[in-house]
Amino acid sequence: MTHGYIGAGVERDDRHFLDGTAQYVADVSREGQLHARIVRSPVAHARIVAIDVAEALAQPGVVTVITAADLPDVRIPIRLPMAETPDTHKFLQPPLARGVVRYVGEPVAVVVAADPYLAEDAAELVDLDLDELDVVTDITSAASTGTPLVQPEAGTNLVATVPLTFGDVDAAFARADIVLRDRLRVHRHTAVPMETRGLLAEVDQGTGVLTLWGAAKVKHFTRQALSGMLGIDPERIRVVENHVGGGFGVRGEPYPEDYLIAFLALRLGRPVKWIEDRAEHFVATNHAREQEHDFEVAATADGRLLAFRDRAWCDQGAYVRSQGILPALLPAQHLPGPYRWEAFALEVHGVLTHRTPVGTYRGPGMTEATFVRERMLNRLAHELRLDPAELRRRNLIEPAQLPWNFAPTPITYESGDFPAGLDRLLDHAGYAELRRQRDERRARGEHVGIGLAAYTEIGGIGPFEEATIVPRPDGGFVAHVGVGSLGQGVETVLAQIAADKLGVAMQDITIDHHDTDQLAHGFGSFASRATTLAGNALALAAEDLRSRAADKLGVPSADVELGGGRATAPSGRSVPLSDLGEGWGRFDKPHPSFSFGAVLSLVSIDAGTGQVRVLRHLVLHDVGRAVNPVLLRRQLTGAAAQGIGAALLEELLYDEYGQPLSTLLSDYRIPTVEELPDIEVIVEERPTPANPLGIKGGGESGMVGTPAAIANAVADALGPASGARVWRLPLTPGRVRELLRST
Amino acid sequence: MTYTGHRVDSAWLEPDEHADLDLLVNGRSVRVQVPARCTLADALRERGLTGTRLGCEQGSCGACTILLDGLPVRSCLTLAVQAEGCELETAEQAPPSRELGALRRAFHEHRALQCGFCTSGFLMLAAGLLRDEPDAGAARVREVLSANLCRCTGGVPILRAVLAAQRELNGGHA
Amino acid sequence: MKPPPFAYRRPSSVQEALTLAAQAGEDAKFIAGGQSLMPLLALRMSRPSHLIDINRLPGLDELRQSGAGLRVGALVRHATLERDARLTGPWRALREAAALIGHHPIRLRGTFGGSAAHADPSAELPVVAVAMDATFVVRSTAGEREIPASDFFAGPLMTVLDPAELLVEARFPAPPPRTRSAFEEFGPRAGDFAFASTAVTLSTRDDGTVQQARIALGGVDAVPVRAYEAEQALEGEPLTDATVREAAGRAAAGCAPSGDAHASATYRRQLIATLVERALSRLKEER
Ligand SMILES: Cc1cc2nc3c(=O)[nH]c(=O)nc-3n(C[C@H](O)[C@H](O)[C@H](O)COP(=O)(O)OP(=O)(O)OC[C@H]3O[C@@H](n4cnc5c(N)ncnc54)[C@H](O)[C@@H]3O)c2cc1C
Ligand code: FES
Ligand code: FES
Repeated sequence: MTHGYIGAGVERDDRHFLDGTAQYVADVSREGQLHARIVRSPVAHARIVAIDVAEALAQPGVVTVITAADLPDVRIPIRLPMAETPDTHKFLQPPLARGVVRYVGEPVAVVVAADPYLAEDAAELVDLDLDELDVVTDITSAASTGTPLVQPEAGTNLVATVPLTFGDVDAAFARADIVLRDRLRVHRHTAVPMETRGLLAEVDQGTGVLTLWGAAKVKHFTRQALSGMLGIDPERIRVVENHVGGGFGVRGEPYPEDYLIAFLALRLGRPVKWIEDRAEHFVATNHAREQEHDFEVAATADGRLLAFRDRAWCDQGAYVRSQGILPALLPAQHLPGPYRWEAFALEVHGVLTHRTPVGTYRGPGMTEATFVRERMLNRLAHELRLDPAELRRRNLIEPAQLPWNFAPTPITYESGDFPAGLDRLLDHAGYAELRRQRDERRARGEHVGIGLAAYTEIGGIGPFEEATIVPRPDGGFVAHVGVGSLGQGVETVLAQIAADKLGVAMQDITIDHHDTDQLAHGFGSFASRATTLAGNALALAAEDLRSRAADKLGVPSADVELGGGRATAPSGRSVPLSDLGEGWGRFDKPHPSFSFGAVLSLVSIDAGTGQVRVLRHLVLHDVGRAVNPVLLRRQLTGAAAQGIGAALLEELLYDEYGQPLSTLLSDYRIPTVEELPDIEVIVEERPTPANPLGIKGGGESGMVGTPAAIANAVADALGPASGARVWRLPLTPGRVRELLRST
Repeated sequence: MTYTGHRVDSAWLEPDEHADLDLLVNGRSVRVQVPARCTLADALRERGLTGTRLGCEQGSCGACTILLDGLPVRSCLTLAVQAEGCELETAEQAPPSRELGALRRAFHEHRALQCGFCTSGFLMLAAGLLRDEPDAGAARVREVLSANLCRCTGGVPILRAVLAAQRELNGGHA
Repeated sequence: MKPPPFAYRRPSSVQEALTLAAQAGEDAKFIAGGQSLMPLLALRMSRPSHLIDINRLPGLDELRQSGAGLRVGALVRHATLERDARLTGPWRALREAAALIGHHPIRLRGTFGGSAAHADPSAELPVVAVAMDATFVVRSTAGEREIPASDFFAGPLMTVLDPAELLVEARFPAPPPRTRSAFEEFGPRAGDFAFASTAVTLSTRDDGTVQQARIALGGVDAVPVRAYEAEQALEGEPLTDATVREAAGRAAAGCAPSGDAHASATYRRQLIATLVERALSRLKEER
């Protein structure tokens, strides 16, 4: 019997957040702990002539100061095999700069002192003698000959090229009635969770076990990476998760600091704590998104999309970090989107520059690719005098054509109904009426625009997740999973699945995702995978436990009732749960799944200031199956809000010397409630056959189409001439004012 | 070297000295020993009152908002020595003030949080506002809430929760 | 982001504060609301040897209106100005400006004196002080002096104050009859420092023509500046769409902003045209 939790908007227990008792890593303290402060490079590129730590060491409270000379020559490894190439190891980052600094913010030394104030005092006194070198900051020329090399040993600034082709592109272009080509640019921006990163490492003097608090997201990989770099057994490392103040892709990857803080705790034999400050966060935590595309689209006069070509340059920053070439790979996989292309050819380059390394941020690659494609589709619609919705409707892949495969590329769409999704979005928005109102307001001289975007999103990335379900003496169950909670409420969702699959009440389930000690494997929370992978693994573990009971009782597993600490057959015969051992499940997902979504935005522009206001914003996404529609809607809303920030306000600016210009929350402008509309979320549920629970994921979906839809709306509001010049983000008031002037 | 807080009225608290302060937090006396430069946020957190969060330490995010004599302030922009003799209220307050109690319920019901990191600051900001301006209109509430940043919720759920708490406090009609 | 070390003291009279400041030397600083100084300390962009806390000095938090004009004590908080219902007509710009400073908790703490002494080129209150011909009264152990607002600001985050001088109040002279004022600004988000701002005060004659116009601009120079040519375009003229546009155009043409990564020079100039036009149009409509 199930309680029907799956599909219900079960509430999460949030008491600890409401009475201030929730513990984030900064709130954890260990007896005798010391505080680390990282000394970072003040320049983008320089040879390190000398580092003098004598004065820092002499400061009150200072325990040690380390530089690269104190460390073995190790590198932060890449996490996913799919993000590695035979060459990527050449570009990996050492925990402390060795000989050369390559971006502002690169760790150069670490000061450890009795308290954070003293550590900061001493860190200021570490004397860096730097011989400045030329910098690379332009992505399109970064890989050209004559450009200074970011990593001379590698011999090139080109990290990787991702080529994908489908069909006969030249033939398709030859048949085109219309071809449009333009450059489009997505800017550097990133997640900026409200909690900065932080770590606390302690070695148990008795057992020698190293415990690390503060690493979230991919804790099993963090353990493996640390084990390799520190040269200690993975069994002797415990990675413990606390409450986390937002992850969004950037938190919890293994960073230089994870190694440094663990190294220091081992070396000093005392707990060492490091809390990133906000200025550090803006140069130390992964950046994302910066890329430029040269995109060319071919279509027929009646609005049939034929083919596209794309050449793109994606910034990797100064080193390849744990996410490898994902910054180049993911845009490539999302450029085709949900349309019936006859052919395409794309070539995406990942390049190095002297800036903070790049990783993934919510909706990675897909957000950028969607912006590029959907902007060009709007230009095309305009040229063809077609309504933008109509152009899309004519070209969306039809349900009867699914599964759709752009062979030989790995891009495959399993299930869904894209045209129905788009129609539902338009219905919900009242599209016809909205257009009428827009025209009316335009006639009064206002600048109002509607923008649309449709997209596909990768999700459910493997390789696999495991889960175990262990009966507790009190009659409840502990479910161990390898994915992390980053503040999304994934633990609630997983408890719903486990409870339903066991046929018990949710109160009887404890989801344990905190500790690497409890489960041998785990790949973590990224790419909207946590619910799909861990959820299905849990379902299998529950089934395993039930069938063990069934075996003992000699009845079919569907007939077993669990509860009160016993498994009971219809006959009344029962066995204690403690006799069953633990249920184990492993869900393998060799191929990712793609899901469909669409966004509509209505904006107005203040012609005097160039300020864009988002009046309405609607997000539709096919999540396959919503295990918890309430939590899911919140995710979609929050992601869309971040997308609005990305589209209009947020930008990590650099000057030509590679100096970052947005290093505080006052100049990296994330939207406040005054800048955000009441976001309207439409959840489509078209279960995928690719996993038993039918889940496609939705943690990032609100983001993916948002910048594209807003850019299209702004272009619409600007009118055709200026609108055609919307080719880059963000659409800050200054940029929009500039575009208005050119009407 | 340590000396008691009120001496700062008549002698310098030197950079290497600590002041012994009696802070009145949530109606209880909390003793802290801090140098002049210690922020109020750090002083509270060091005494285990970690519900006051730090998201930027320079006044931009509002995560550290507490009530000082009933009014919301950024505790990262106040020195601990300046808070002596003031009444402080933080997210841990138990039992909660009328406003905080209503806000906690409303935040839960209206799902005004995800990661929860901004929650303490928003609760205290709103508690201060609803106490000081019980009849603030929706536009005013929205404007005041723009003081704090939330990266997870999209902001509007928080606004909704605060307006609901206000309705409750005003007896169901506001 | 922890403040560097300093000595701290909290005097209880203005005289004592002045003596301490004189003794503590060049690197001592007063701390008022702390809303500008504390962020600078956190970033270690300011390293005072001594901090003299003026929050408990008596008599500096008064806001007095009389026939002679308006006196704003150095410790008057932005929120006090924002909420003072007396600040209408000629004083309205002061209230409107205060309401636009940062955010509610910032305004509850931040002070008039701190805003003036901090001298951020984008700050609101200095622009209003310049538009309203305010005079700053400053004191030190050497005595008292009065400095016109137009001479007070020396550059970005710089004033003509000596380190040991305390700003005690601002005096706003009584305006001619039928004076009204307005403040406009634009920043990218609610509460952000403005890219550009303007404070306008206008006195009109019986026939509706402008007797005296004062237009000050913020965010377009190292210090708040007057838009003299725009003022001249209005004086002696009636307020019409045409004169408003002319004045706005002259204000924009006459200023020489420098650009930065967040707002270009051209953009700031465009904003000035928009903001001056909006302030004047409001005053025109309200007549
Ligand atoms: C998030 C945020 C947003 C903000 N937004 C804005 C904004 O939009 N517009 C704006 O104008 N301001 C803004 N501010 C700053 C705020 O207005 C400050 O209150 C103000 O600039 C300084 O006032 P204070 O009393 O806090 O001064 P403090 O920070 O205490 O002092 C500032 C400086 O003035 C000196 N000083 C203070 N009082 C005196 C005195 N009586 N005599 C001599 N010297 C003195 C101090 O020594 C110090 O150098 C913002 C602040 C924050 C944190
Ligand atoms: S931590 Fe105080 S405002 Fe951000
Ligand atoms: S809930 Fe995460 S920052 Fe607000």
